[in-house]
Amino acid sequence: MLLSLSWRNVWRNPTRSMVVVVAVALGLWGGVTTMALINGWVKQRIADSIQNEISHIQIHNPEFLLNEEVDKTFNFDSVAQALSSADGIVGLSGRLKVFAMAQTDRANSGLVVLGVKPNSERSVSGIPNKLIMGSFLEGDFKTPSIVLGKKAAEELKLVNYELTDSIAQKLSAMELRLGEQIQPLVGRRIRTRSSFMNALRAELEPALFNHYSETLADSCASFRLNGPVVLTFQTPAGELHSAMFRVRGIYRTSNTAFDARMAYVNFENLALAANINPNYVHEVALLCKDNTSVVSIAQTLSTTYQNLKVRRWDEISPEIALYAAFGDFMGLIYIVIILFALAFGIINTMMMNVLERYREFGMLMAIGMNRLRVYSMIMMESVFLTLTGGVVGIVFSIVFIKIFAQTGFDFSMWAEGFEAIGYSSVVYPDITLANYVLVTILVTATGVLASLWPARRALKLNPMQALRVE
Amino acid sequence: MAIIEVVNVDKIYNDSEVKVTALSNINLTIEKGEFTAIVGPSGSGKTTLLNLLGGLDSPTNGKIRVGDVWLNELKGSKLIDFRLRNIGFVFQSYNLIPVLTAGENVELIMQLQGVSARVRKQVAADMLVKVGLADRFASRPAKLSGGQQQRVAVARALASKPQFILADEPTANLDGKSAENLLQIMEHLNRNEGVTFIFSTHDQRVMNRARRVILLEDGRIKSDTLQ
Ligand SMILES: Nc1ncnc2c1ncn2[C@@H]1O[C@H](COP(=O)(O)OP(=O)(O)OP(=O)(O)O)[C@@H](O)[C@H]1O
Ligand SMILES: [Mg+2]
Repeated sequence: MLLSLSWRNVWRNPTRSMVVVVAVALGLWGGVTTMALINGWVKQRIADSIQNEISHIQIHNPEFLLNEEVDKTFNFDSVAQALSSADGIVGLSGRLKVFAMAQTDRANSGLVVLGVKPNSERSVSGIPNKLIMGSFLEGDFKTPSIVLGKKAAEELKLVNYELTDSIAQKLSAMELRLGEQIQPLVGRRIRTRSSFMNALRAELEPALFNHYSETLADSCASFRLNGPVVLTFQTPAGELHSAMFRVRGIYRTSNTAFDARMAYVNFENLALAANINPNYVHEVALLCKDNTSVVSIAQTLSTTYQNLKVRRWDEISPEIALYAAFGDFMGLIYIVIILFALAFGIINTMMMNVLERYREFGMLMAIGMNRLRVYSMIMMESVFLTLTGGVVGIVFSIVFIKIFAQTGFDFSMWAEGFEAIGYSSVVYPDITLANYVLVTILVTATGVLASLWPARRALKLNPMQALRVE
Repeated sequence: MAIIEVVNVDKIYNDSEVKVTALSNINLTIEKGEFTAIVGPSGSGKTTLLNLLGGLDSPTNGKIRVGDVWLNELKGSKLIDFRLRNIGFVFQSYNLIPVLTAGENVELIMQLQGVSARVRKQVAADMLVKVGLADRFASRPAKLSGGQQQRVAVARALASKPQFILADEPTANLDGKSAENLLQIMEHLNRNEGVTFIFSTHDQRVMNRARRVILLEDGRIKSDTLQ
């Protein structure tokens, strides 16, 4: 009955209590959703990075890890047999990894060139499925093939801007005046984005330019497939070798920095060009059945291959593993700050509740309600008040998160910034049950803490004074 | 043995600049089964005396025994618990919790005493019958008249099975008929069930119903008569 009494007391002044409930609900909704977004981001970043960049486990010649020198290889055949039959390993790719200077007729740039066997690489990496143009390294060509990231292709100026007839027609259909004004540009091929923009600016009236230029540039951009790229690298003997490759595919991940750096060529082509024994590799990448089996598999491999260095994803990229812990922590800090701010509102409401019922508390203490009970009653009221808001907020959050866990939450307005640091612009919020429990505990604790001061006020009263009739 | 014994009690308020002697040299015993009125002009010390008897305040000098306990020997939560189990209170107003029904208000005190839920409900219903409110168990105080609210307060006091019930001006806020009615119920409980009542009043008609009248003037007992 004391519980039900406290609950009813909460609703003595419904408006005042509703204000607190709504405030707590909104605060938590924001906090929990933010937490879920951060969590979703981090998970996605980890998944992306395992899938596209580092896989679960990598094996190297330990000396290669020091300076990544081209001669620090190890015999692939010595491990391949055992690994491909090992339990829990679902993908295996032996790679050459060489630093190269890439040159086109217009620009040059440094690249990390991976020599891979397309089929093996597909078993560990998502990159072959991230192509936005062309194909991965399959197919027979006279000149060797190279697959570049979008960013690298842009840096090497392997892009043309051309307003084709079909685009022009679509534009006319969309907005007649736009179609007319761009006519002079149709069929012209422009090499850089900035000169394409300048050309647009010259032809279009300002309003149309402001509105359409970015989208137009995007849709007119096309990569120069089969464009030549010359790679220059050091051979194990210490000489510089150059070889020509042709761009056969462009990939794009959510990590622009990765896209700017990593290029893929056929294993045999690279071995030949860099003069490396094709039985040897720099790196073996492994994909495991699931994240949980990685630790034990890495453990076993370490003991089996004493002379090689076996590293898990979280050892290869400790900063990414750190994000995971950090993401949760950030979300919690955020919620704690929100609750701290809300606590003042709760204290205020509880204080009013107590002061208005001064005589009533006096009466209860006079007839024999002890301090502990008075205190628990006030505390329960505060917890009920806070928790009602908490439950509403969490239910809101669950619904919100459920919806956006399906569709994703699109940050593309700011996507450029996110992708530059390796985060996808569409985030799938994700939150664990443990975090909901933790948030509920925090909310309850806030209720308890917010009741301390008002309860102290009530406990200090003298029942005889409180009951005195003036 | 008397259930209340007051020995050489003085009460001096000196929390403000002026010292107020609210009671001086009070000696008094009250026996089980009494129906006693404490009367006197405003400021004569009636409330002060009842507060001392109820353990809500402590005397400046002298001591008070309730049952076999000297109140000055109880402190803090022991004193609160003593009040809970031994003394029934009916105040002039603010007796009831507005969000609880009449029945629940009566049950509350038994819950504080640790009585089981089933017994509580039964006893609360019985007590409400005794004060003539059998059909108002589920009514909130706001739906009851002032007189009915005071009767619920009496039922609550009864439910706690106290040694005696203190009532400070229980009829002060009531009209004549309700006051009469409340007094009748109290008197009935006193006669038939031996419940001890000590109440203060200004009202001559209420005074007339008391069997013992203690008249206070300037904090002293001016007269103490049986009628
Ligand atoms: N807490 C207090 N502090 C100071 N003086 C007080 C206090 N309570 C009562 N008094 C004083 O003590 C005296 C007795 O007061 P008390 O309330 O007992 O009188 P009363 O007989 O109940 O009067 P009333 O009929 O008006 O209720 C009065 O002079 C009053 O002003
Ligand atoms: Mg008085």
